Amino acid sequence: MNRFRSMMAAVLLFSGCGPREKVATIAVALPLTGDIASLGQGLKRATAMAMEEAQQQPFPGYKVEAEFFDDRSDPKEAVNVANRIASNPNVVGVIGHFNSGCTIPAAQVYARAGIPLISPAASNPKLTQQQLDSSWTYPKTVFRVNTTDDVQGAYAGELAVQKLNVKRAAIIHDKTAYGQGVAEEFRKKFEALGGATLVFDGINVQDKDFNALLTRIHSLNPQAIYFGGDFAGGGLVVRQARGLGEKAIFILSEANYDPEFLRIAGNAAEGAYVTFLGSPPDLLASARKFIVAYKQRYPMDEMKAYDHYGYEAMSIMLSQLRAVGPDRAKIVDALHHVKYEGILGETQFDEKGDTLNKKITLFQVKNGKFELAQ
Amino acid sequence: MFLQQLINGLTLGALYALIALGYTMVYGVLLMINFAHSEIFMVGAFAACLLLRLPWIAQGGILGLFLAVVGALIISALLAMLIERLAYRPLRRAARLTPLISAIGVSIFLQNAVFLLISNESIAVPEIFSATPWHWGAATVHPIQLLILVTTLVLLVALHLFVNRTRLGTAIRAISQDAPTASLMGIPVNKMIALTFLIGGGLGGIAGALNGLYYGSIKYNMGFVPGMKAFTAAVLGGIGNVGGAMAGGFLLGLIESLAAGLIPNGSDWKDVIAFSILILVLLFRPSGLLGKHVPEKV
Repeated sequence: MNRFRSMMAAVLLFSGCGPREKVATIAVALPLTGDIASLGQGLKRATAMAMEEAQQQPFPGYKVEAEFFDDRSDPKEAVNVANRIASNPNVVGVIGHFNSGCTIPAAQVYARAGIPLISPAASNPKLTQQQLDSSWTYPKTVFRVNTTDDVQGAYAGELAVQKLNVKRAAIIHDKTAYGQGVAEEFRKKFEALGGATLVFDGINVQDKDFNALLTRIHSLNPQAIYFGGDFAGGGLVVRQARGLGEKAIFILSEANYDPEFLRIAGNAAEGAYVTFLGSPPDLLASARKFIVAYKQRYPMDEMKAYDHYGYEAMSIMLSQLRAVGPDRAKIVDALHHVKYEGILGETQFDEKGDTLNKKITLFQVKNGKFELAQ
Repeated sequence: MFLQQLINGLTLGALYALIALGYTMVYGVLLMINFAHSEIFMVGAFAACLLLRLPWIAQGGILGLFLAVVGALIISALLAMLIERLAYRPLRRAARLTPLISAIGVSIFLQNAVFLLISNESIAVPEIFSATPWHWGAATVHPIQLLILVTTLVLLVALHLFVNRTRLGTAIRAISQDAPTASLMGIPVNKMIALTFLIGGGLGGIAGALNGLYYGSIKYNMGFVPGMKAFTAAVLGGIGNVGGAMAGGFLLGLIESLAAGLIPNGSDWKDVIAFSILILVLLFRPSGLLGKHVPEKV
């Protein structure tokens, strides 16, 4: 017993009083389990890779590390995670979250603590717009490297009316901040251009059975069906609609640009249009080196659709950390003025924190693959 | 369109009913809600999907399909029995909440095991026979929908006959009425409880396999919502009652489909409607549609 005590004393002595290197933590909050775990896991790989690359060149006077958190795509859990992150004084920045529904409430927690946040995927405009509300008394600490849904929804609305000649459309969303948000943006543009909305309905993705709603839509004979949401719902909606004999054109939001969408929908995916925020890495000349490095680092894993955004978000955060040191306010200030040349090309943020890059890429499923559509 | 919604609802209801039978049978003998049942359903779906990937089963046409479903039945049934042996039987004399917590533990364990060992993504279920749908007027019926309905009805009749007409069924009923007395009459209680899990698990496995074939993809967390809905169906019909589980399942499937399919914006409201009806039924018939009010035994 005595020996145990002296050992404990020694442990306490060395751990408590020894000279300790200062640590700057970048927290990464993603859906690592749950319906879209595969996208979260991909982003985890990409952010970890950006961190490893940056660590090869030591930071002066402090150690930098990433800490990963799981929000399970659940807004309640996201706020819990955000509170845990904000209570850690070592955290100087956050990368995440994935879902708009998670990021919007979590962003307030980070802003209250003055922690800079860069989201690699949340696309609902509200995320950055909420900072302009009069009730927002915190610093503007929210940034994102991806384009937003007002751009995406409007693009899809124009596509439907001007290119595909659609006059009557049914709109389905998955009742999330993201899915419903992008569906409303589509509706706004579509109706402004003279289109008529036959149905605007939400689904519970977990129910898996949307035959009832799709039968009703089928009987209204729409020319197009727009779906706002991720592949878990999108794949099943397309598959079940085609199973009922639905012939309408499908246009889906960007969270369906994933091999999992093709697997769930099967042959029914053929001909469906999917809009994507920005460009996927294989269409970016600046991302070639990233693709090669990713395959080398993770030979067993498939690159997911947002991995380059995760890599870029982490790289931007680390570059500014290196430039101004581990101080939350200084990093926030630096991000507002950053001009970062990276794998997405040049990234600059407007006064809300949104990227100036507003590109949308259009894909169509052909022969079981996503092909670039004009 | 009404006919089509009826077909949609009956198919959905049949799947709920098959799962609900597992809840209701276990509740009948142990008065325990087996929350791991939704994971037994999920494992059944994975078993069928993995079997269908074997070349000699995939090329077997209808026979291959039959083998895959039977395989799912066997694997899920054995799994349910194993869970009972390891996680519930040692707790038989513990407080009533203890096995419930154990069941939740098993459920989380199984979900995470599949998440980590097999896949965290949706897996496509191979399409064995790409039969073209039949058209009856404005309605479309897929062979798989018919398969689900027929399988469910056949299993219901078989289960009803088994429980009411065989010695083993009588033994199970005796245990559900009074386990200590049944034991004194020479009924091997533990064996009969294991048999109950075997049957309930097998039905859950078939439901999982059919669910995978019908929707075309499966995932590690696919059991949760159907499990909750089926549990609801079991309560709606009168938990502990085989016919009640069936009635509850079909009723819930039909209400959901008709609400989402006939009312504008009904897809948003279908759960509100379905659960309002559930509350109303329970207010007027606290023991469910077909449940009998059993006075507390003294």
